Amino acid sequence: MRRLAWLLALGALAAACAVPLDPPPSGAPAGDEPPRSGGVLRLGDAEDPRYLDPARGYDVVSWSFEQMLFNTLVEYDQGTNIVPGLAETWTTSPDGRHLSFRLRHDVVFSTGRPFTAADVKFSLERLLKPSIHSQGAEFFHGLEGATDYIAGAAKEVRGIRVPAPDRVEFDLIGIDPLFLHKLAMPFAAVVDREAVERFGDDDFNAHPVGTGAFVLQEWVYGQRLRLARNPRYFRAGRPYLDAVEATIGVSPQLAWLKYQRGELDVATIPPAEYHRVLADPRYRPLLISRTTLRTNYLGLNCEVAPFDRVAVRQAMNLAINKQRLLELADGQGAIANSILPPDMPGAGPVAGYPHDPEAARLKLGEAGLADGFETTLWAYRDPEALRPAQSIQEDLHLIGVTVNLKPVDFPALIEAVRHPGTVSLFLLGWEADFPDPSNFLTVLLHSRSRDTNNNTFYANPEVDHLLDEAEPLLVDDPRRFRLFHEAEVLVMRDAPWVPLLHPAGSAVRHPRVRDLELHPLRPSRVEGVWLAW
Amino acid sequence: MALTGLGSARRSRRFLAAGVVLVGALTLVALAAPWLTAYDPDAIVVAVYRGPLGPGGAHPLGTDTLGRDVWARLAYGARTSLFVGALAMAISLLIGTAVGLVAGYFGGLVDAALMWVVDLVLTMPSLLLLIVLATILPPSILTIPLVIGIIGWTTFARTVRGEVLTLRERDYVQAARALGAANARIIVRHLLPGVLPGVVVLAALGMSGAIVVDAGLSYLGLGVPLPTPSWGRMVSDSQTYIAVAPWLVFAPGLSIALAVVGFNLIGHGLIDLVERR
Repeated sequence: MRRLAWLLALGALAAACAVPLDPPPSGAPAGDEPPRSGGVLRLGDAEDPRYLDPARGYDVVSWSFEQMLFNTLVEYDQGTNIVPGLAETWTTSPDGRHLSFRLRHDVVFSTGRPFTAADVKFSLERLLKPSIHSQGAEFFHGLEGATDYIAGAAKEVRGIRVPAPDRVEFDLIGIDPLFLHKLAMPFAAVVDREAVERFGDDDFNAHPVGTGAFVLQEWVYGQRLRLARNPRYFRAGRPYLDAVEATIGVSPQLAWLKYQRGELDVATIPPAEYHRVLADPRYRPLLISRTTLRTNYLGLNCEVAPFDRVAVRQAMNLAINKQRLLELADGQGAIANSILPPDMPGAGPVAGYPHDPEAARLKLGEAGLADGFETTLWAYRDPEALRPAQSIQEDLHLIGVTVNLKPVDFPALIEAVRHPGTVSLFLLGWEADFPDPSNFLTVLLHSRSRDTNNNTFYANPEVDHLLDEAEPLLVDDPRRFRLFHEAEVLVMRDAPWVPLLHPAGSAVRHPRVRDLELHPLRPSRVEGVWLAW
Repeated sequence: MALTGLGSARRSRRFLAAGVVLVGALTLVALAAPWLTAYDPDAIVVAVYRGPLGPGGAHPLGTDTLGRDVWARLAYGARTSLFVGALAMAISLLIGTAVGLVAGYFGGLVDAALMWVVDLVLTMPSLLLLIVLATILPPSILTIPLVIGIIGWTTFARTVRGEVLTLRERDYVQAARALGAANARIIVRHLLPGVLPGVVVLAALGMSGAIVVDAGLSYLGLGVPLPTPSWGRMVSDSQTYIAVAPWLVFAPGLSIALAVVGFNLIGHGLIDLVERR
């Protein structure tokens, strides 16, 4: 009996004491020394990249490795500006339908074969081939002759012309102000024709050859992926790293532990540890964080009662305590008062709604629902996603609205919200493919997007008209952003969304890792990363 | 399942007493929850969320990953666990006892058919079946006990049937039959009282089983709908916080363990008393 009491006392003691946060790997986190070549960057990933073939990959992990192996004609700087990649310069015709690129002369594939304009044409035509089933093909349907090519009526895409080995020209059927951004997507990366022909379209994935800073050295499926420096890379002195090695099968939790033991160079912070890591001065200099072009929102189905009434939707906007949602995210991000993330070009100030439960109750009264109502909120079943969901449930409870939570798997959630009249209330987020307002407003809120991503089934002819008018205007035309802004103000008044947060991305680095930055649109690039020891 | 006692009568009475004390305490907490805590278990009570608060002060067991009072959720969670356990056990008991009585009394084809159904249910992987049923049925506090009850009745049926097979040959049953009593009367008035002690033992053990299954289902995210507090859910929601805020996991985990131990002690304590009858 006495022994039992001791055991119980010990258990109680253990239960009351948190395990202290382990220190990060030791070493000076910064210094004045110039960049140094050499070393292997050690990463950990839960699963193998789904693809290394740029025509097929459409997820963060695939893109992070594709960026190391391949290049695009144009790319982004550390922000959202387009800068030269394989192309040195380019011009756009006054009507915006013809683009002409002059290519670099010093680029060779990792096999040694010189890169020419014909490779650009080959890569894009391969992307459009129906047998590839690329999710990125649709971005290039606006090329002259693309439809004929896809239908098999033409052997090539007329709108991709190669007047000289260092020149490539694109003809578009209509004006497409975002075409440059589309060329900056990994889908449009240039692949080595010889490798594709040798290995075939499917096996190219296991034998990717491009012009990138790294080459694939070894891929043991389910175990590790090693990319070595490409000695023929066209940017002199880059990359600094000898190799990048990713260990596969490392869950985020395990990656965190391995990082603390100094076995990995980069890791994301587990949500449970966020709070302690942010407060710990030992970790502060190692933390890298950056706002992304993302908005998390509560979607209100405008076709389902009672959310078919504007007053009810506005009441929802007034009722949600976004400050607390930000606290639940440990302050990683910014409160969203509008549709567009603040870093989005063209994002202007929108009044938004204050947190005012009293006003929310009055609005409900206006709609004849002073006694509240009952509804169902669909959310991803992950515990971390259900925390904000329960916070919202509690906010709405305070204005008399009973919310039943329906936690579902992510694919089921995406599927369900697309069915008209099925989901009245849902939690989702959207991350921009391009740094342009249309990628939020037109894709998510135009009435013609109702069968794809307009999951609130919002339709306002006035908004549609503004979006249609803005769409063909060139990116540098000041009217473009003004029209988008007017549309956004109208949308916020109609309130099909409760914008919640613009979450920030964050990671921790080993102190030896230098010049690693997060990107607002893309996975981090490692070309400029170097190791201090 | 072989039911075995725990040895001497004094010992089994002690176990029984310990079980009654444990279960009694938990029942008391469940019933008196509103008086034991000032907080609404679903309400977010911290003004500013800065991670889970440690035990102490206004929150004897700290606050959880949303800033809710853990003690309040634990106390109200006792209601959920006991309610789910009791209802599930009651459903199992009703179905199982009825099937066992009928099968054992009538025998022959009826017995064969009913026992075939029992075997069928037993051969199905129960956890898988539970998950499927809990996914199909609409989420509500009644769904889980219903599902557990519908699957868990076979033990009752088998035990009761076995008991009835011996009871029906007893003289008093034969006498009732000779006097022309109706089958229903014989089953209810003469057989049921005979099997009740065994059923009570099974019920106590079934309670602990149902609580464990409920915790498991809640842990898998299939339990009572959020935000209703339930111990299994509390464990699963905070498992990644075990190094940061261990009380979030230990408090509900310990509660589940105590409830299960309590009902098991009662069950095993009763076995000896029943056998000594």
